[in-house]
Amino acid sequence: MKRLVSLFFIGALALLLLYVVSRMPPMGDPGNPTATRVVPRYLERAEEETHARNVVTGIIINYRGFDTLGEVTVIYCALAAVLAVLGREKRGRIRDYVELSGFPSSVIVRTMVALVVPFILLFSLYTILHGEISPGGGFQGGAVIGASMIIFTTIYGLHLSSVKVSQGLRSPLEGSAVITFFLVGVLGLFGGGNFLTYAWPKVSQALHPALVTWLTVLVEVGIGLGGAMVLVSILFAMVREEGADEPLA
Amino acid sequence: MNLWPNLHYAVAMVLFCIGLYTVIMRRNIIKKIIGLNIMETSVFLFLISIGYLEGGAAPVHGHGVDPSRMVNPLPQSLILTAIVVAVSVTALALSLVILLYRQFGTLDVSRLFREEEEAG
Repeated sequence: MKRLVSLFFIGALALLLLYVVSRMPPMGDPGNPTATRVVPRYLERAEEETHARNVVTGIIINYRGFDTLGEVTVIYCALAAVLAVLGREKRGRIRDYVELSGFPSSVIVRTMVALVVPFILLFSLYTILHGEISPGGGFQGGAVIGASMIIFTTIYGLHLSSVKVSQGLRSPLEGSAVITFFLVGVLGLFGGGNFLTYAWPKVSQALHPALVTWLTVLVEVGIGLGGAMVLVSILFAMVREEGADEPLA
Repeated sequence: MNLWPNLHYAVAMVLFCIGLYTVIMRRNIIKKIIGLNIMETSVFLFLISIGYLEGGAAPVHGHGVDPSRMVNPLPQSLILTAIVVAVSVTALALSLVILLYRQFGTLDVSRLFREEEEAG
């Protein structure tokens, strides 16, 4: 009975959504309101205003800087919540943590991972640093670093990977996204502009392109490192299985 | 009726309903979280397809592409933000699931409810 009601509800919702979708203007039409209203302004002026050739990066870091600052805070809060729920691994006890899979991975897999991971890290650096002139950016690069650490941890185990990316390295860097973004914003205040202004009025106009570009790259690197470390910390908190945590029930 | 030109939108809506079905009907919590992720992905697909332009190019200057031919960069930056928030939500949900499993030894919602009734 419950199943039938749910199916009926979902079917009705699907029909309604499909009806609405079928009345929308055709996808990809240049005359759509989405293509004619706000966007031409962004596309035409973004390069001279944000000095980032990639308009998406210009919007994220520059036009909608407040939005991104809040969102970086969301990642940090997620990490804080995960650590509050699961707890951080304790130094010195990491050797006691049980390997979840009883099957050691084969030599072929280990060799391939050891060969591939440096190149993934190189690619992520390229993604972070090239974010403003080609598709990419801090979030994407950080996610790639996190993915490379997930591969490494699943093959080599938690112990080795937590030695490679130790807690002493991660703890200061986890907040780097928020801190870098905020500091750059405050620097904008000292430069004579508003919070999160990149082109400072007190600096001569000739220096503006270089200034904006370097500040954008700085924020991207901060976001990349911070995001990557947050992902790695969440991974370590989840993978770990302590013998002390017996089920209470 | 524009259902055929708007096939991307329609697929996004169907995906949304599949995700909703998973969230409602599945009793395993991890499958519910997978359903939540499917719903999120369908919204991403929908918004990204709204920004599509027929024969458009990537919104990156410096390759000799006219700005009027570029696709809409606004949904893309919006989705970049939304993906990260989705990852955060998933991470938090999964860590709560880990805690739940350590406590009760099951991920079945109906059994969890029963255990709670017996305990309380």
